[in-house]
Amino acid sequence: MLFNSIAFLLFFPAVCLIYFLIPVHQMRIRNLFLLCASYYFYMNWEPVYALLLLSSTLVTYLAALGIESYARWKKTCLVGSIVVNISILFLFKYYNFLAGSIESLLTSCGLGIDIPKFSLLLPVGISFYIFQALGYSIDVYRGTTRVERDLATYALFVSFFPQLVAGPIERSNNLLPQFKAEHRFDYERVMEGLRMMLWGYFLKLALADRCGLIVDMVFNNVGSHNGGSYLMASVLFPFQIYGDFAGYSLIAIGAAKILGFQLMENFHRPYFAASIGEFWHRWHISLSTWFKDYVYIPLGGNRRGQARTYFNLFITFVVSGIWHGANWTFLCWGTLHGLFLCIEKALGIGRKKYSGWRKVGRIIVTFSLVSFAWILFRANSLSDAATIITGIFTRFDAPKREFANWFGIMIALGIMLYKELGEELGWKINPAESKSWTVRHLYIVLMIAYILLFGVLGGDQFIYFQF
Amino acid sequence: MKKFVISFAFIIVILFAVDRSVGRVMWWVNQHTNDVSGPKIKYLVNDVDEDMVLMGASRCNCHYVPSIISDSIGMSVYNGGVDASNNIYAHYIVLSHIMTHHKPRYVCLEVMTSDFEKSDDSFMTTTFFAPYFGINERADSVFRLAGTYTMYKVSHLYRYNAKSLSNILGLVVNRQQGGDNGYIPYPRTDNYPDTLIKSATVRDIDSTKLRYVQKFIDLCYANGTKVIFTVSPSYSIVDRDYYDVIKEVALHNDIPFMDYHTHGLFLEDAENFRDQIHLRDEESARRFSVIFAHDLKQVLERWNN
Repeated sequence: MLFNSIAFLLFFPAVCLIYFLIPVHQMRIRNLFLLCASYYFYMNWEPVYALLLLSSTLVTYLAALGIESYARWKKTCLVGSIVVNISILFLFKYYNFLAGSIESLLTSCGLGIDIPKFSLLLPVGISFYIFQALGYSIDVYRGTTRVERDLATYALFVSFFPQLVAGPIERSNNLLPQFKAEHRFDYERVMEGLRMMLWGYFLKLALADRCGLIVDMVFNNVGSHNGGSYLMASVLFPFQIYGDFAGYSLIAIGAAKILGFQLMENFHRPYFAASIGEFWHRWHISLSTWFKDYVYIPLGGNRRGQARTYFNLFITFVVSGIWHGANWTFLCWGTLHGLFLCIEKALGIGRKKYSGWRKVGRIIVTFSLVSFAWILFRANSLSDAATIITGIFTRFDAPKREFANWFGIMIALGIMLYKELGEELGWKINPAESKSWTVRHLYIVLMIAYILLFGVLGGDQFIYFQF
Repeated sequence: MKKFVISFAFIIVILFAVDRSVGRVMWWVNQHTNDVSGPKIKYLVNDVDEDMVLMGASRCNCHYVPSIISDSIGMSVYNGGVDASNNIYAHYIVLSHIMTHHKPRYVCLEVMTSDFEKSDDSFMTTTFFAPYFGINERADSVFRLAGTYTMYKVSHLYRYNAKSLSNILGLVVNRQQGGDNGYIPYPRTDNYPDTLIKSATVRDIDSTKLRYVQKFIDLCYANGTKVIFTVSPSYSIVDRDYYDVIKEVALHNDIPFMDYHTHGLFLEDAENFRDQIHLRDEESARRFSVIFAHDLKQVLERWNN
């Protein structure tokens, strides 16, 4: 079930209504209801894949119990949990890619071997819930979180519908205790959640999908466009992916907030970052902190000398690239970010504090580097990426005219920049946070009207669902 | 909870007021815009009175020059091709509106495989005609099928969603220049297709679309209008006849089928095309229209004798 579908707009109010009708002290019933709603939400895509979700849940649940109960087998339980979960991920996400790559390699060596492949659809959100469940296993092993003995509560932690398919990837010590707290209907909290959801819908439908009309046209048909169109699409894609993913996260966080749950912030105005390091503190925060806690630090972090720090950083970003998808483009994207960060660290850029025009300059440079890397991320293949990058410099011509879409993008971008610039500079200019009740409510009305009139309401998928 | 109910009620009431008032403004914009397709749809719905109406999507819009065809067949011709309205549901909506005020002698439909094959976004193009929701029950039946009927009924703003930006922009920029009775030449381009399509994906046949093709024909016949199907050139060599299904329909209904696709017209030079399915510019459209007009004249003569 997509957040931007009529089905969700009917499903979510119904869930809220029933949830708040269940007496507040009947937490177990409330949690069981949310668990059923979450599985229903997930099974709307492909019912059979709920079995994968259930398997991952059971494996990590039992592993955690084993870790706590059998000190001698602690490590074995953890390794077992990791192996099973990563195997599921590998089978569904990476096996065909690896088999294809090996086949190509062998063919180029003159060995025409046919490796069998599976015709499996990638289950929605598999990377997200597996990482969340794995994080729990590791936390229990480290002793930083208490084991959850109630299977239903734990299953709800893994499958909680607002953040099930594209995060934020929650930590057990943040979300699990919330399932044991009483959540009363709170007017201010509900209204704040609604405003967050609305802003998320704006980012997705008015900005991301509008940019997507141009970006997809160019990136999905590279041969038919010129350098001007490549540049245009490359400049728009950063806003498309931001609107898409930050929009999704805000809808998820807002929906959870309405129900009384506080999910972690996932985006913090990333394009105002003055360095690549800062960008990763602002972009997909739940994933970057996951990689920091469960990959970078276990590798040794920055505690084993400068060379090893660079290596650890680089490897973490390569893995992050692969996490995004089974394609060389994602691997190169992660590698490039790893390189950027190593260079930044070597030059000491991330440590310096900038202000005034120098900060503006740094923001522009960072945005340009990030946008360049996004070309690799979005391109359907490395050869497409190469065509686009070389085309920008060698085949530059006026792009195809897309007046209406540009008009819509400019308005949406203007609104987004107004809000985010205000927040970045601490100006109180956001009508959503006005002290006036009327202004706050008019803001909601105008946002809904804007989306109805100018939003791209075709029910497009969220980009990050494919990961 | 009481506070929430008050907030909710306030939002609904104000939203209703905004929806209706801005909806009225958008209707005015829709009637006065000089965007590419807005004035054409308005003309088709309200005013078209030509003897022959050419219908279809962008290929129709930019391949047929009415003045050339009109000179050849000796009757008035209007090019009613609407960009991106590439399937039978959109054509059926347009035809339903036309038939309420005018019975053309001939309707010439430029068919595409999307008129009878399954696709993910079959009803997407019907959204262009949503501003005219509620004035023609036959046309509205397509919105019922598309599942948008209730939303259009509830929200007036939503009716303008598909074309709101281009309609507003059309108040400032006149994109109707160089028009010839509905034909609006595409801007010149230096692009041309780099590969000749030799085969295309074969999709399953959509029985609902085929039913609407038949409804389209029946509606014409019921109003005394004769139908002609045509397929203009593409930059492709076909390894099978993609139009065999629609040709059968044409044969069954005694409809002439003018096929310039399997004839491989203009394939000698990629620069005759701007992309794989559109002729390059006004010059190539005129060249094609001369050929089409000549053949059409013969079809009409055979028909009338």
